[in-house]
Amino acid sequence: MTAIIFILTAIIAAMVTFYVNHELKQGPVRSSALLSLLVALPFYFFPNVLDVSLSKNIPVVFIGGSFIGMASKKIVDSYIKLAISGLVFSVIYLNTSNFFNGYGGALGASAGIALLSVLSLPFFTPKKHHLTNGILQLRKIIFKRNKD
Amino acid sequence: MARKKVRTFIILLTLVIQILFLSAIFVEKLQTSYTPIVIILLCILLLASYVKAPIHHRTNVYDHILIVLWIPAGALSCYFLNHGFHLGPVISAGIVGTTASFIPQINKHSAYLKQLPATFYCGAFIGMTNLSIASSVYFVLAASFFAGVLLLVSKSLFNGLGGKLGTVAFTAVTITSFIFFLLFKK
Repeated sequence: MTAIIFILTAIIAAMVTFYVNHELKQGPVRSSALLSLLVALPFYFFPNVLDVSLSKNIPVVFIGGSFIGMASKKIVDSYIKLAISGLVFSVIYLNTSNFFNGYGGALGASAGIALLSVLSLPFFTPKKHHLTNGILQLRKIIFKRNKD
Repeated sequence: MARKKVRTFIILLTLVIQILFLSAIFVEKLQTSYTPIVIILLCILLLASYVKAPIHHRTNVYDHILIVLWIPAGALSCYFLNHGFHLGPVISAGIVGTTASFIPQINKHSAYLKQLPATFYCGAFIGMTNLSIASSVYFVLAASFFAGVLLLVSKSLFNGLGGKLGTVAFTAVTITSFIFFLLFKK
């Protein structure tokens, strides 16, 4: 149950940060820092509302997920990729080793690994359509006419 | 020529650190059923995106060298908020990052001020380190020195990748803790 909550938190964090970063034009640092501050403060002042392990880990998972959302639009263009990399991040976080426990930047490193591994996915998926360039142009023209 | 060698070295260093991070998980979770498979899969995907994905810029972005001075400032402020006031790592990094993100408002035309938020945030990640690893202020200062060097050199690499700052901070902290381990063996 807690695992599902962490996965959902990471996915939501990545998507919301990306939205605030690019749609609301707040810049990567402010969107990540402000959102994680807003999430962390309630858990700091009311630590007993939720389960102890939940209120301890949710802010950490959220700030890690928000690092994924700091990516620029050139790198990630779809929210689906963000969601997948949020999932990968939470899987890494759930299995973190004790050796690197408490290292600053371990969250950022796992976010980077999650995003990098998702970036290589398009190279493995087969191309959906084998249309030639001419047919694509024709389709563009037809759809443009229909719009007018 | 030297510039190209530095580029290759930094990319290789980042790859080694990431593989190290994954293999630490791999060794510890060998008993569980699905984790090793996931780790191996992640390693293959990582290698593929290192080889194929367009994550590096060819151009060399000009960067102010003095920008590095602000990494220790971010790291120390986050460290004291974290351990002096017992706010916890997430809140202290959030406070430092939010405050730093308003710095460009002082002078909107200055290109120098625009680069400061990312630098401060990178420093804040170093300040998130636990007391059992960063036992003194000197550890934070040494780690921020390494982070500064790495950030300057890797300016045009991994551009716009989420988690780049975190990876830089993690690399710096790992190098520093290794050096401290060699110098003052526990």
